[in-house]
Order: sequence, then C-alpha cells, then structure tokens
Amino acid sequence: MDWVGLYPTWYEPGVGSGWVVGIMATIHVLASHTSVGAAILFAYLAVLAYRRNQPQLLDYIRKYGMFLLVFSYVIGSITGPGIWFTTTVASPRGISALIHSFVWKWATEWVFFVIEVVGVYLVIYLVGRVDQRTHMRIAVIFGMASYTTMLIILGILSFMMVPGKEVWFTEGGYLNGFYGSNTFAQLAMRTAFMFTMTAVVGGIVAARITDPAFKREISRKLAWLGIVSSITGAALFQWYIRTLPETAHLVMDNRLPSYFQPAIITVLLGILAYFVMTLISSRTLVVWGASAATLSILLFGLWPEEVARESIRKPWVAGQYIYSNQVVGRDVPGMNIKSEIPLLETHGFLKTQVFVPNELRVVTPDNMLKVGESLALTTCSNCHSLSDTGMRPLHRYFGGATNVTEVENYLRGALSTGATMYMPMIPLKPEEAEALAVFIVNMKQPQAAIAHIQHKAALAQADQAAALPATLTQEVR
Amino acid sequence: MNSEMLYALRDVAGVPSHPIVFLVLGVLTFALHIAAVQVMLGGTALVLANAFSRNPMRRRLAAAMTTTAKIAVSVAVVLGVAPLLFVQVTYDPFWYTSNVLSAWWVVGFIVLLIAGYMALYFFYSRNHHLDDPQHDTRSGWSLVAALALFLVVGFIMHVLTQQMLSPEKWMSWYAPGGVIEPRGRTLHDYNLWRFGFFIALAAPVTGAWLFAYRRYLSAGQLAEANYLQWVGALASKMLNIGGVIALVLLGGWMATLPANIAGFATSPIVLLSMALLLLTVALPTVLGQRTLHTSLGYAPFALGAVALIAVAALREVLRWTVLKGIHGYDVFTYPVHLDWYSNVLFFSTFALIGGSTLAYFLTIAWKVGQTPMGQIYTPSAAIDRIGTVSMWLVGLWIVQFFVVGFVVWAQ
Repeated sequence: MDWVGLYPTWYEPGVGSGWVVGIMATIHVLASHTSVGAAILFAYLAVLAYRRNQPQLLDYIRKYGMFLLVFSYVIGSITGPGIWFTTTVASPRGISALIHSFVWKWATEWVFFVIEVVGVYLVIYLVGRVDQRTHMRIAVIFGMASYTTMLIILGILSFMMVPGKEVWFTEGGYLNGFYGSNTFAQLAMRTAFMFTMTAVVGGIVAARITDPAFKREISRKLAWLGIVSSITGAALFQWYIRTLPETAHLVMDNRLPSYFQPAIITVLLGILAYFVMTLISSRTLVVWGASAATLSILLFGLWPEEVARESIRKPWVAGQYIYSNQVVGRDVPGMNIKSEIPLLETHGFLKTQVFVPNELRVVTPDNMLKVGESLALTTCSNCHSLSDTGMRPLHRYFGGATNVTEVENYLRGALSTGATMYMPMIPLKPEEAEALAVFIVNMKQPQAAIAHIQHKAALAQADQAAALPATLTQEVR
Repeated sequence: MNSEMLYALRDVAGVPSHPIVFLVLGVLTFALHIAAVQVMLGGTALVLANAFSRNPMRRRLAAAMTTTAKIAVSVAVVLGVAPLLFVQVTYDPFWYTSNVLSAWWVVGFIVLLIAGYMALYFFYSRNHHLDDPQHDTRSGWSLVAALALFLVVGFIMHVLTQQMLSPEKWMSWYAPGGVIEPRGRTLHDYNLWRFGFFIALAAPVTGAWLFAYRRYLSAGQLAEANYLQWVGALASKMLNIGGVIALVLLGGWMATLPANIAGFATSPIVLLSMALLLLTVALPTVLGQRTLHTSLGYAPFALGAVALIAVAALREVLRWTVLKGIHGYDVFTYPVHLDWYSNVLFFSTFALIGGSTLAYFLTIAWKVGQTPMGQIYTPSAAIDRIGTVSMWLVGLWIVQFFVVGFVVWAQ
C-alpha cells in the first residue's frame, strides 16, 4: 500500500506553532524591509553627497548603518533563516514545496545576500576612508543588490498565495509559478511600505542629530519619503487585494478578526500624521517618538498583516495544492503531482500516514482518545490550537458540544467531503471521525467523551459475548 | 522506518537539477560556512583569553579579534543559508523529520543565536578602547555568554544533523511507548566525538587565520616586529596543538561509527581529510619566515580551506553511506524536473555578479586596510572598471527580472 508522506507534527501548546511562525515573520519583515529600503536610501544619499559635496550625509549613512547592523543585520539576517526553521517545524511540507520549486531562486538570492552583507560593512566603515565617488558606487551596488533580494522573495511569497499563472497547474514551469499579477502587485505594495518603515526607523537615528539645520534636512527627507510611500502603499494595497484569489476574499470578509482592518488603517493614518508633524517641525522628531512609531508598525501594522496573509491562504498553505494540514489536496499535472485525497478516502489517515504509532493504527475503545489526539495533531493543529490559548483554539468551533455523535456527523458530513469553506477536505474514515470527535468533545466535556468511550466498550464486549457461542459451536463441530 | 516510508516523505515536486549538483554545492558552501563558524569561535575565544590582560600585545589582539568575530558571525550566518537550503532539497525527509522531533530547540536556535550575537555586540560596544591596556575591560560576562551561546547553537545544529542519520529511532523519539510526544522539547541524539571535532577545528583554523592576519599587518607595515613574532608563535601553537586534538577527535568519531559501516573510517575521503589537515598543520613550519615576509603567509588558511572542503565532503559521503548502506535510501533517485532558466540564472548570477562584485568589494576592503589611517584611498582605474561592471551587471539583472516577468505575465 502507498504511504502518505506526512511528517511528525510539532505542537506547541502555549501559543501554537502557527503563531511562532507569525512572530518570527513579523519581526523579520520589519527588519528586512527596513534594511532594503535603507540600502536604497543610502544609495540616494551617497549620490547626493557626491554631487553636492555634502559629506555630512555620509555621516548619517554611517550612523543609520551602524544602527541597522544590529537591527537588521543581526536580528533580520538571523530571523530570515529563522522563518525557514520555524516553517520547517510547523509546516514542513509547505516549506518543502517552496524549496523544491524555487531552490535556484533562493540560491540566487543568497548570492545577493552575500553581496549585501559585505556591502553594508563597506558602506558603513569606508565613510571617510575612500573617495566619495568610490563610496557612492559601493552604496549604489549595495542598494541594488539589496533590492534584488526583495524581488526574488516576493515571487516566492506570491506563489505561497497562488501560483503566478493558472497554466502552472497544467504545464508546470518555474516562470509560470513565479510571475503573475499577485507577484507584481505585492512587490509594488511592499516596495512602498518598505520605504515607510525605512523612514520611521531612520527617524530613531535622525533624532540624535545635534546640528539643527542638518536634522531639519534629514527629517524632511524622511518625512516626505514616509508620506509619499504610505499614500502610495495604501493605493497599491487596493491593487494587491484585487489580485488575490476568490477564496482569500471569502476569508477576508468572514474570518479575519474584526480589529485587523481598523488597526491597520489607524496605524497608517497615525504614521501619516507623525510624518506630517516631523515635516512641519523637526524638533518633534525624538527618539522615543520614532521608537513608538516603529513599535506601532510592528504590533498594529505588520502583525495583523502577517496573520491575515497566513489566514487568507486557507485552506492552502503553499501553491494552492498543499493543504494547511500538509496533505497534497489537488492534482498538479504540470509537476506530476498527484492529490493524496483519493488514497486517504480509500484507506484513511491511520493506515497510510508514516508517523503513526502501530498501537494507534486500529481504533478501539481503549485507544480512541489517543487516536483522536493523533488525528487532531495531524489534521487540525497546524491552524487550530488544541488548548485554550494560541491560534484559533479548536474547541471554540464546536460551541461546547457534548454529543460525540453530533460532532462526528459534522466531521463526516462537512469536513470529510470538503464542504466547509476555508477548510481543507479531510477524508476521515468513519472510525477516525468518531475518534476525532471523542477527542474534540473531551477537550471541554470529558465526562461526555468518557461516557461515549464506555458505551463503545460495552458494545464491543456485547459483540464479543455474542460472537463467543458461535465460535465455540464451530469448534465443537 | 523502512525505505518505502522514507521515499514517501520526499517532496512530490521533485528537484530542478540532478541531486549531485546540490550535494556538491552543499559541500562547498558548508566548507565556507564552517570556516566562518570556526573563525567566529576561535576569535571569540581569543578575545576571552586576552581581553583582561594588561599586556599591550594581548589587548591589541583581543581588539582585532573582537572585530573579526563580530564580522565572522555575520559571514557564518549568511554563508550558512546555502548549505541549509541544499540539505532541504536533497535530504528533506531526514532534515525535516529531525527538525520536527526537536522543534523547540530549532526555534531556540534562532533565539539563542540572536542572543549570542547581541551579547558579542554588547561587549564590543562597551569596550571601544580594548586595545588600550590602561582601560579596564568591561562586561566580560557578555563575552562569556556569547561564546557559551555560540557553542549551544552549534550543539543544536550538530544534534539535528546527527538525528537525520537514525530513521530507525524516529518513531521511538516521536511516540515513546506508543504515546505521541509532539512538543519537540528533547534533543535525542548526539556524538560528542563528532561535535568535539568540529569545535576543536576552530583552534587550527583560527591559527591559520592568525598567520594570514600577521602577513596582512606585515605587508602594510601596520605592526611592530615583536607583535608579529608573538602572533606567529600563538598561531603556531593553536595550529599544532589544536590540529592534533582535532585529529584525535576525528579518530574518536570514526571509531564510533555503526559496526556495519565501520570500514568507512579507512575510506579514501577520511584519509584525504586527515592528510590535508596534517599538511595544513605542518605548512607554517615548512614555510618558516616566508609566512611573514611573503604572500605565502596566506597559504596555511588557503590550504586549511581546502582541508575543510575535504572534511565537508567526508561528512556528506558519510551521510550518503549511512542512508544508502543502512537504510536503503538513495538520494540519486530523486525525480528530476529540470528547469533550465532557473539553473542558468543561478550559475550566471553566482559566477558573474557574485564573482565581479565580491572581487570589487574585497579588493577595496583590502586596499583600504593597507592604507594608513587618516589617508583616503582612491582605487586604480582597473579596480574602478570592476566596480562599474559590477554595478551594470546588478542593474542588468534587475532589468531582466522585470522584462522576463512582464513577458510571462502578459502571455
């Protein structure tokens, strides 16, 4: 019999694995977007410094660069692989799908990373050590190389949401997967917002400038950068929304927490007001203010955005063929990929999944709860916390149900057939659905679950007893 | 865990080039990564050993090694991305399983690495006058913390690599006694000989690095003779003693291989690695004063890098031997869906843009280092040309990204 190559499941009961990925991604986006935007800002300032002979601009580059060494090149450069690590443990087949389709894109990005890391040290430490023209050239190369890293990763991020072109499913081809409307819309939007972040974080450094005239000049540049990029980003966000698949719109309309949209709009308006304020008076640009603005972007802008991006992909996690619970949910003839759903429909999870203890492959009253837990880990825990805390706790979706049969009917009727919006099709065998239902009911109503198990055990005993005389009769014969 | 199950874990999309390409790149990039890791560890250890002395030479070395270690962490992180990428491509069933089984530590790896790096930066920021023995060295605890954390993250990575090789134990780790333990809070398997070998290599690699550092100072007339002599003696000691210790640990590692692949210990790749490590150790003695007065001062580190490539190959061949020989998993049967565009794009970017830009950057850095403080370095026309070419190449790359993208999008 064929196996379904699902990996073991990591389950973090405190916050859930999904949030661990989300936290890592949010921090990384702030650090990496800021650094890419800053690299382009540095190139611009270096050109200005050379053309206008304004060496104090280089001093700002040096100071902002030193700040970024810790902010972006320690935290950002480690949380980058950190996203790989966290997705590896939270969604191994999801990250694997991206790696196997885009390994050469990532390898190409790595070449630019190396250039970027060497470049940032040169841009910072060669101020005043090389002639301005050479410094300008280094800064321009650094800025462009930095932006290429964004170009590359954006195609991969877009593929996570939806392959670039529909034809990818039938014909395959790396370019068809990489390029599409969503790629360019997301690239344009992120490019704009990355400058917003660069302007906000740059304010932390600019606030320390002691020369009032120079501080005014820098704060104005940052303010204009921030104002233009925020407004442009907001406009491009509308384009991005239009490139999302229909399923994403359904989730956005129905499932996202109600505070997300107001939070993002409030942050955007707040940041705009902040930039206008620092444009009018550079004295209002102070370290704590810029730090608070950075923190508000992180908490009320990027966190909802990253969580929303994760949510609106549902029920898929990558390329609209890997379900969030790691099962390959559709055929992709262009890549010779076969859906695993038919195999699961025929044999179920317990018989086909690699990482199931042998003791749990057959459901009995004795192991029913454990089997249910195993199935919940496999089929639910990527998106639903199995405890009271973390991402979308599972028990909340069953309204305190006390009846195992009701839950089982839902699992068999709506979930196994793929009739629930935003949810993967989870083709549970009847005995698997029952075990999972017992586990779900047990989370909030253990007495009801135990009663069901006892009832099943009693039935099994009765069956055994009924079967015994017949067996004996056969032996006598 | 039989081979059928292992093959089922493979990614359904296949790989876009023959697996050998990824294995070779994995070996080369791992060698670069581990070299940076070892300079990072050796450099940090040298700072710890010398930063609290009142001896001006020791303080000068401590200051130089603080900067070296700080940059080495950056380089180690960025170079580590490549082997991490390639191992996921070819050995995904093993890498992903191993990671999930110790997930808590995998996440911890990131947090601890950031903490270690921050601790090193903190020490650096607190000791801007480290080279001046008149100044007290402050916040030594952060240096100890940095080194300890670097060793911990190294150990985590070692465990993840080690766990890959034991599919027969995976189920007992995931569900001991049939009860699933999904929290991933345990580090299940390690081989202290193997871990010790890679850590001990930091001494000879950093010794070879010190020979290069000494030659660099000598060529630019940036240090007095007694300092150069002292650094040379220290480098020799690290290379000789550290090299012997590393070889002993390598022997221990080979002696603890599973019985059915014990013969690997005397395989050509192991013997070649040992020979190259020994040659690296012996080279400065053979070259004598030429390591100080000629560019041969860089030879020990260059040969050391070659030895590390051999060690990286040893590690890869061992992995193949264990997985094929014991578990029946053949990486070379991975289905290939060749994609020419992405292959060509990577290799041309690597060779042309990576080659020219890094040549330009490193030449500039080198030349500036050799220019006395207070003077401005202006590159020659030839170096300028490399810079211009690099700039245009990166620009051209961006143009092709959009041109190809728009064409595909419009079709």
